[in-house]
Amino acid sequence: MTRRAPKPSGVPKTSGGLGALLAQFQLTDSAFPSGLYTLSHGLEGYVQLRIAGADDVHDLVSGVIRAAGTADAAALALAHRAVASDDWDAVVEADRRLHAIKLGPEQRTASVRTGRQLLGLAEPAFGSAPAVRLGRLVAGGATPGNHAVVVGAVHAGLGVPVRDAVAGDLYALAASCATAAVRLGRSDFRRAQGLLRALRPEIVRAAETALAARDPRDLRSSTPLADVVAAAHERAEARLFIT
Amino acid sequence: MELEQVYKIGIGGPVGSGKTALIEALVPLLVGRGHRPGVITNDIYTQEDAQHVRRTLAGTLDADRVVGVETGACPHTAVRDDPTMNLAAAAELLDRFPDIDVLLFESGGDNLTLTFSPALADVFVFVLDTAEGEKMPRKRGPGTTDSDLLVINKIDIAPYVRTDLAVMERDAHAVRGNGRVILTDCLTGTGVSDVADFVLDRRETLCSSTG
Repeated sequence: MTRRAPKPSGVPKTSGGLGALLAQFQLTDSAFPSGLYTLSHGLEGYVQLRIAGADDVHDLVSGVIRAAGTADAAALALAHRAVASDDWDAVVEADRRLHAIKLGPEQRTASVRTGRQLLGLAEPAFGSAPAVRLGRLVAGGATPGNHAVVVGAVHAGLGVPVRDAVAGDLYALAASCATAAVRLGRSDFRRAQGLLRALRPEIVRAAETALAARDPRDLRSSTPLADVVAAAHERAEARLFIT
Repeated sequence: MELEQVYKIGIGGPVGSGKTALIEALVPLLVGRGHRPGVITNDIYTQEDAQHVRRTLAGTLDADRVVGVETGACPHTAVRDDPTMNLAAAAELLDRFPDIDVLLFESGGDNLTLTFSPALADVFVFVLDTAEGEKMPRKRGPGTTDSDLLVINKIDIAPYVRTDLAVMERDAHAVRGNGRVILTDCLTGTGVSDVADFVLDRRETLCSSTG
């Protein structure tokens, strides 16, 4: 693939201002309608197999966050940098690689479904030029449009620094897991807030791992237990969540 | 008494399944067995349930021991995701009536995904009824499968709504494993003493396990 020199990309020259912060609040707000409420990020599978009690939630969610550090969050960082330097081949490469390392159909479907939902909202919500361009690539079948990659592209377009973008999305993931734990009856509102506090060091570590990624080949996933549980969840007769 | 020390019963289920009727049948039994209950109902817009409970239990339970909370949202938000307003209402009720030893929380009518926050209910009772159709247990959902007690209400009208009660009960047991199922007709009281036995036995178990 050819790499082009940086040129105007719809990405603000200055970044990290208050406007960018406010836009990031909007994008990472749990009320943002990208469909995250349909995902338990694997927790429901453990609950259905009766191998997840209230005391296991912290370790399970820590595992989800840790895994994101080398996969979704790292792809987000790569996509963010690629959009900022107007390297759309690199955006596509990161997106395809992320899609390839998601083993289960549930994970791939959920990632693409929420990603496309965000693409559809990014124009009215943010006037996001990178999202429009990425949307055309997705519509043309050039790239799948995983949620993390779309988030990276939108954040870059908003002038949100890559570090903040990665941390914000990892926090949104943690908050989504905590909400799922409440809905699954494995936590209450107090424990859920305590969980988010306890997860901060894991989020910081995962962000550092993600930000260290320099190449799509740095994206990787090794979560055999989660993959087995997800496979069982995929065949469950009844479920609350897609994942 | 502090809220943490009061036994809390959460009652949820679809609209019209008989949650209010169960409370109205259960409270006199609890009073008869020496308990001092308080009731907190959740309605989306109104205090209709609270007013109904006050009217029905007049002479058995002081009307001021029944409090309505308008949720203004999906009922599960108020009893599962953010139960702080219910907890605040309970704390205020206990301030006024420190002798209350059992609190019954009635969720607004909801769907099959309803559960209670563990912070709000020590025991979770889910109420279905025969008029919803005999397929309801097979549709599952956490209320049906994971509640501490599943009540199938309105057994008296099953023949008139083309529900085979035996099928409904069989399927309920099939999806609940060892979870208890009790059949009731709350308007005549059928099965309600079994519900009282269950919730009070569970209270004894919790008290003994927490010392």
